[in-house]
Amino acid sequence: MTTRGTIGVLVIGVPALALLAFGPRGRYGEPPGRTVVRYWEKWAGVEGQVMQRIVDRFNRTVGAEKSIWVEYNAVSSIEQRTLIATAGGDPPDVAGLYDFIVPQYADQGALRPLDDLARDAGVDLNTLKPVWLDICRYEGRLYALPSTPYTIGLYYNRELFRRAGLDPDRPPETIAEFTECVKRLTLSDAVTLSNGEQGQRIVQAGFTPSTAMLGWWTWVWPCFFDGRLWDGQRCLIDAPAGRAAMHWIAELRQAQGVEPMLSFEATSGAIESAQNPFLSGRLAMVFQGPWLSNWLARYAPKLDYAVAPFPSITRERRNVFASTDVFVIPAGSRRPREAMTFLAYMMRQEVLEELCREHNKLSPFRTPGPNFYATHPNPHVRVFDEMANSAYAFGYPPMPMWLRVLDELKQMLNVVLAFPERTDSAMETAQRKVDEIVGDYRQMAARRRGGTP
Amino acid sequence: MSRSARERTGRRGLLSGLVWTAPWWLGVLLFLAVPMGMSLYISFCDYPLLQPPVYVGSANYAALATDPVFHKVLWNTVLFAVLAIPLGTVVAVLLAVLLNQRVRGQGFFRTCVFVPTVVPLVGTALVWLWMLNPEYGLVNHGLRAIGPVFEHINNGIALIIGHRVEWIGELAAGPKWLQLPGWAVSSLVLISLWGVGSPVVIYLAGLQDISEELYEAAMLDGASGTRRFWHVTLPGLSPVILFNVITGLIGTWQIFALPYVLMRAEQGPGRSTYFYTMYLFDNAFRYLKMGYASAMAWIQLFIILALTGLVFLVSRRMVHYRGA
Repeated sequence: MTTRGTIGVLVIGVPALALLAFGPRGRYGEPPGRTVVRYWEKWAGVEGQVMQRIVDRFNRTVGAEKSIWVEYNAVSSIEQRTLIATAGGDPPDVAGLYDFIVPQYADQGALRPLDDLARDAGVDLNTLKPVWLDICRYEGRLYALPSTPYTIGLYYNRELFRRAGLDPDRPPETIAEFTECVKRLTLSDAVTLSNGEQGQRIVQAGFTPSTAMLGWWTWVWPCFFDGRLWDGQRCLIDAPAGRAAMHWIAELRQAQGVEPMLSFEATSGAIESAQNPFLSGRLAMVFQGPWLSNWLARYAPKLDYAVAPFPSITRERRNVFASTDVFVIPAGSRRPREAMTFLAYMMRQEVLEELCREHNKLSPFRTPGPNFYATHPNPHVRVFDEMANSAYAFGYPPMPMWLRVLDELKQMLNVVLAFPERTDSAMETAQRKVDEIVGDYRQMAARRRGGTP
Repeated sequence: MSRSARERTGRRGLLSGLVWTAPWWLGVLLFLAVPMGMSLYISFCDYPLLQPPVYVGSANYAALATDPVFHKVLWNTVLFAVLAIPLGTVVAVLLAVLLNQRVRGQGFFRTCVFVPTVVPLVGTALVWLWMLNPEYGLVNHGLRAIGPVFEHINNGIALIIGHRVEWIGELAAGPKWLQLPGWAVSSLVLISLWGVGSPVVIYLAGLQDISEELYEAAMLDGASGTRRFWHVTLPGLSPVILFNVITGLIGTWQIFALPYVLMRAEQGPGRSTYFYTMYLFDNAFRYLKMGYASAMAWIQLFIILALTGLVFLVSRRMVHYRGA
């Protein structure tokens, strides 16, 4: 071997050998005699570490007592992987999914109903707030248990309120008040265009429902006009509440300026960055969840902000969007009882609240533990938690064909935001397509059941 | 050697050959032929993955014929291919010819053109997201700087045709590249040029293969640089161009990752950046319509095969193989 070759082998080989000898070690396998429960979850990073810590504690305590070993795996694209593994007959025993996927998977028979299993394992569902259980049910049966629930509220920048002559201690409660706030908080500069004409550039927006600017929930707006999207038979896009919501968005858009808003929204950074428009003070109000305070603490610790329920059309009825990550047991799980033993441990108040607190989410319990609020990273957690008690809290529409419908609703909103004058035709198109999707799904479901479509 | 001995040896040779090539043909059989056969069967079924497939005849194919989203993604993909392949080919060939010139720093220039192709796709998408930002992006900054030139052109056009051309006006002001349907596909075509380094390398290799004698003969005949390019370089490069066009064609019909990352898994304004493979993926893994997705996959295969055949047919008189 030449000198150069020897040096090359040494440069690559020595660190490789050192890595083998002294490098990080994989986790040791389960102790002998334990039944392994495979748990797939979407959380990695800090969130995953919290869950791993809880799993380790279970394995040391209840797991050791009952001869169960939970193997935690952080999995990306969790819903697709769980689906493929379930279809392949080798699903995990526990999976951490999103609530909106539950109706689809339950309807397809991919999830094991949990009513009996939970009862046998001694899980007291009465300790949980009803809204979270409603979200976990599909057609009257319990298919999931809430893991880290949240409501979505209106974050508003108190300093910008003051500058606009608004009372920072009196956030808007109705859509009319909110509209007025948005208009007063939207500021623009005059700019000269290349053709010499005067144009407008937004420097601060009051609010936008655009997906490009932290508007993650494109379908919720009719619900704040006291409507609901799904009546069990039909998707109610063109119902009065839906029409009122879309026309409100269109009118707001026109008042703010369509073109300048599109340009402004394109400048939005991701939520977890310093370019987050709410953090940088360019967006005065945003519809977001409790986790936003993580980024506020990191990137804008001095920002003077508060949280309130998102306004509704009337002051009397407070509509609140509530959602939760969930635990499920896939239909093909080979160890459902052991899986439920683990979930029963997770549903202990002190355990679940530890997870929820460290994930910056809410407590799913009717009465949160004594330290929950005091140690929670979000200073406004009580507001979010109180919202979950609203009699008008709503979750994702329990539609088994939801993802297809959602794509159409997103398209509709995008058309309204870019071409507000086409609002009616966008709604008609969306309604027609969604009706087709619902019909198509029913036809397929009937065919699979062997009945007449 | 007797006949039976020859047969025995032949059989043994065949067996030995089959054993040694087993990793390949078993792999093809198990991981390509069988899945393809199953996919063909599933394309005639309603198959939501979680329940057994139910045979529905040609219902999936019939539904595709009337599905407006399918038509939209088909159109988007065709539009992208029609814009990206010729533009990419012209730019790549011209760059290759430039980089083939013997100038100082040739290696440096070649590296500059190739380096973008090794940048990970997600990084590329994020960089372009900012480059195309309507307010602060470098592209619009440049366009606004030369905006008056566009305005003069537009005014000239207005004198001829009686009205200004809207898109030239938008170009002068800096378009909302990824925010409006009319510009979104153009943005992706623009970004696709970022990866032009790969075909440039192939064209460069092709250029090395063109005989110097042909250039010398053309020069002796008094051919100018442009004529030498048209009559020597391009014909000599034609087999390579054909190869790149066909691989480009297959690539554009399978475009997925770039718009997926760039639009943050959204379908773009008016579904303008929603392409064939993205819709196929959504049907398979989000909507759980595996039968429908399989039908789409087979249609995609036939479209690619047909277009490849068409390109071969059309190019028969245009491609010059050495020694042919």
